Formats: sequence, structure tokens, C-alpha cells
Amino acid sequence: MSKIEIRDLVKRYDDTQVLHGINIQIASGEFTVLVGPSGCGKSTTLRMVAGLESISDGEVVIGDRVVNDLRPKERGIAMVFQNYALYPSKTVYENMAFSLRLSRVPKAEIERKVREVSAILELDPLLQRKPGELSGGQRQRVAMGRAIVRDPEVFLFDEPLSNLDAKLRTQMRVEIKTLHQRLKNTIVYVTHDQVEAMTLADRIVVMRSGIIEQQGTPDEIFHNPVNTFVAGFMGSPQMNLVESSVSGGKISIGDANHPQLTAEMQLPDGAVTFGIRPDDIELLDEQSEEANNQANKQTVKISLVEPVGTEKLFHFSLGGKPFIGKADGRMQLSEGQTVNICLDMQYGYYFDAQSGERIR
Amino acid sequence: MFLLPGLLILSTLLSIPLYKVFEYSLYDNVIINPEPQFVGLDNYVEVIGDTGYWQALWNTFLFTVGSVIGHMVIGTSLAMLVNANINKRALTFFRTLLILPWIFTAVVVALNWQLLLNPFGVVNYSLEWLGFISEPLDWFGDADLAMWSLLLVSTWRGYPFIMISFLSGLQSVPKELYEAAEIDGANFLQRFWHVTLPQLKPVIYGVALLDLIWTFQLFPLVWLTTGGGPGRTTEVLSTLTYRLAFVDFEFSKASTTAVTILVISALFTILYLRNETRRK
Repeated sequence: MSKIEIRDLVKRYDDTQVLHGINIQIASGEFTVLVGPSGCGKSTTLRMVAGLESISDGEVVIGDRVVNDLRPKERGIAMVFQNYALYPSKTVYENMAFSLRLSRVPKAEIERKVREVSAILELDPLLQRKPGELSGGQRQRVAMGRAIVRDPEVFLFDEPLSNLDAKLRTQMRVEIKTLHQRLKNTIVYVTHDQVEAMTLADRIVVMRSGIIEQQGTPDEIFHNPVNTFVAGFMGSPQMNLVESSVSGGKISIGDANHPQLTAEMQLPDGAVTFGIRPDDIELLDEQSEEANNQANKQTVKISLVEPVGTEKLFHFSLGGKPFIGKADGRMQLSEGQTVNICLDMQYGYYFDAQSGERIR
Repeated sequence: MFLLPGLLILSTLLSIPLYKVFEYSLYDNVIINPEPQFVGLDNYVEVIGDTGYWQALWNTFLFTVGSVIGHMVIGTSLAMLVNANINKRALTFFRTLLILPWIFTAVVVALNWQLLLNPFGVVNYSLEWLGFISEPLDWFGDADLAMWSLLLVSTWRGYPFIMISFLSGLQSVPKELYEAAEIDGANFLQRFWHVTLPQLKPVIYGVALLDLIWTFQLFPLVWLTTGGGPGRTTEVLSTLTYRLAFVDFEFSKASTTAVTILVISALFTILYLRNETRRK
């Protein structure tokens, strides 16, 4: 186990700069997830930590060593790749034993280590098979086994679950988390899937266009996004973000040419971006007296219903802007239905209309 | 239906000469003799009893195996070189340059190398100048050097096919495999042995067999450089067949050796086709 420090990391390809001074500190044993859309630089950062990409500027420190000039094998890392990168001509056992064989570890020791790890990952019955005879999930487990056998200081995962189907992805997510709880290794994990990031990470680093937008615990990132990008990226379905205006201590949500919801809000006059998560839009029960007295109540027409099992997502328009709300899965909702909703304004977010930065 | 005319022409052009060659091998001296006699397998018995035939067969074996090994080693090395992650312009330049031997006809190649390896040619001059030899060598005329010289020319002429075939194989090897091996601690040779070779194995086998089939029947390069000499030191089955037919005018014996070439080539072809079927 080792801490990792990434200091002012820069990556340039000829004249194009793709990473603009990344700073991340990862404590020993911490599970850090780099998340962001395609092209944000998360995989490049990981590959620079691994030594598979050269460092244009800045430093990568693993443990107490600056590893900029060290070869991948000297950095004490193991990596799990998106497409597993298992050696097709070798059996599962040989794949797992390969690095130890190259390090001239005695045969008996290799056997002991491979057996130990294969028992943890339930790979025993597969040891004599070749990667081509395994399912995606099994291959992923072998790739993890190959990494664990090396007993590295740091594990690097590069979108390891992207090639799996949704069900297997959920299952493997649990396996990876369980494994981390058991081995307590330092992990840097790259994904574009915010659900994966939220469920796995001790700490999330949200990246965009080669810079870090925000880093913190999953709770901090989800509940305290620093700007519209983080607010919109984290959460599924994503936060409703709507251009609005504040005047005389009141916020009017949406476009003034359409029916708006107006609420009291102590913000300077001007344009703001109002954000609210679908979970904080309540569908009111028509019969309840409490509902009729509810503040910030609005009557809207449902334009689309997405049943996702335990809940139903309903789309509607407010102030001429599209919104998504979340209702209980048992509720009977249909397109065209008129319903009363309430926006829980205490969970509303306000961002600068120009810069997108959070207004607190 | 659309294929029928093509198939007809192809089968006629293939089957009639094949049949005629086989028929000739069962008669006494055809073409020269206006009324040749059917002699059964006598020509085969005579050819098999001839030490010259066995010498040519052995030379063919040496030439074929030596050439294929030369093609493989040089072709693989150069394929890896032109697959390297270097400047794109340099890469295109080297790829074009290295494929040149393939686009020359055998006649041009043979004449060029005859000039280069001439006792008064550039090679001898350079070697003398560098101090490797004290007097010019007759590369194609010396019985000890002729086969080696022939192998050099054959390797030079044949490696581009292997290089191109392996290059396409190398480009289909996932980059991550090399990265995984690098992280696992494999050096260049270990990466070649554990990643490149296993990934190229299906290509290597098929390409080697194809090269074997082609080289086994190679005629112009040998005929135009050494002509099978000096003596019979570089005589291969194809030059022997030509010599029997068009120098000695023994067309029946020439047909007989041609049939043996056909049988051996057919065996290699069956192996090649089997390998291709297995790959699919």
C-alpha cells in the first residue's frame, strides 16, 4: 500500500495540451475514482501514473519515490485494462503466474500465490482454461487476479467494467468493492460511469477537458457540486438545470413567456441557473389537504413517463423548460395527465448563469 | 452461371497441360520421337535411379528451407521495424523502400545481383576495401559459395512478402497486450516471445507454407544467376527439368521430374489448405 501524489501533471502531444496541471493526493489504501466524459483526460492521467505515457511536465509520486523516469515494472503498480489484455495463448494459471515467472520467483512460491488468489476470486476451476474459453466476467476476474498476484503497491483500473453487460457490471462492482475492503490496497479507478464512481469511491475526482472540476467524497460531489458541469454529470437522471431570473428577492423559474414557478429567494437580482434533482420534485396527492396548502406548488402536464421499476420518471415542462421528476414506481401515471407537483426549494441549487459556478 | 465461362477456361488451361505432362512421363522420348512408345513407369524408375535427380532434390530442399528461413527472419525483423512507433513520414519511407525488392521481376533481380557479386563488382570491392577479403571472390562461380549467394539473393527477393504479411498480423495485435506485458516486467525479447509470436502463429504457419510452395518451384532466379552450376552444386528440380527439356531435349524425363515437383508441391498445398480451413 502506498500513497500517490500527482503534482501539476501536464500532458502535451506536439502543440496540443490535453492535461493542464492536475493535482491529486491519494492516501494510502484509498479508492479514488477519476470520472468524466470521453476525452476529459482521465485515462491519460492513469496511464501516466502507470508509466505507459510520458509525462510532459509535473510529477507523479508513488510512496516516497518520484516515478517519472521509472519503467512501468519498477513503479510497483498493477493494471487492469478495459479489454482485459489477457495473453490469449496462455492459460489462466499462466496469465496469473507470468509476472512472477519473469521476476524469477521460485516455482513453489508462484504456485502458492496463484492458488491463494484464485481461491479468493473463485478461479480454481478455470485455471487450465484459455481466455478465449471464458465469459466476460470470468476474464475480468482473471485480469484482477493477475494484478493481485503481483502484490503491487497500487492498483490501476482503466474502465474495467465497460465491456460487461449491465447485470454483470453491477455484480463485478460489488466484487471490486468487496476486494478493496479485504485487501485495503490503494486503487485508482477510471470510469465514465457516474454510478460506478459513486458506488465504489472513497474519493471522486471529476474531470473535464484536462482539468479537475471537483474532487471530494461521493457525498460532497453529489450534494455540493461546485458548478453546473459537476451537478449535471453526477446523478442519474441528471439534475434539472434551468435558466431563471431573480428579482426583488424572488426567483422565477424558466422562461417568462410561459407559466413560471416563483419562490422567495435571497439572491442578487439577475440571471441564474436553477438546479434541482428529480428526487426533490414531489408529486402531490390531490386528495390531501396538506398538498393543497403546499408552497411552491404547480400544476403541470406529464409529457412522458419512464417506468424504471422501483420508481417512475415523469417528464414535464415548467416555465417552458423541460424537467424530470421522480415518483414512486407504484403510482399510476400516464402521458397527458395533469398533476400537481412541488419543488422542494431547500434542496435547490443556484449557479451563476455565465460562469456556471455555484452561488452559495 | 456467371462463373461458368471463367471456370471452363481455367479448367481447360489447367487440366490439359497437366494431363499432357503426366502422359508424356509415361512414354519414351516424346516430341523428338514422332511415334513415342508407352513405357509405363520406366521413366520414373530411371529418374529415381539417377544421382543427379537426388542431388537436385537435395539442393531444392536446401534452397527452399534456407530461403524460407531467410525470408522469415529478415521479414519478421523488418516487419517489427516498420511497425515501430516512429515518425510517420520516416515510416512510410521505410515501408516503401523495403518493399522494393518485391516489385522487381526476377530477371532484373538476377542481373543486378550478378553485377553486384561479380568478381569485379561492388560487393567484392567493398569487402576488400574493408579488409574482410584479400582477393575478389567468385560468388556464383565458386562451388562453396554459390548456394550461399543464391540464398542471399533469394532472401533479398522474397522477404517483402513475409514482411507485409507479418506487418498486417502485427498491426492486429492489441496494444494493451504489450502494455500488460510491460507492466508485468517483460523486456523486448520476452514481449516478442510471449506476445508477438503467439499472436502471429496462425499467420506464420500459413505464410511459411505458401512461401515454401513458391520457393520450391522457383526457376528464373536460379537459372539466371548460377544456371544450376558450378557443376550441379545449385541445380534444383526446376532447373533440372528445364535442362532436361530444353537443353538435352529429353522431354519425357523432364515431364517425369515435373510430375515429381507437382506431387511434392501438392502435398505442401494440402497442408496449407488444411491450415487455412482450421483458421476459419
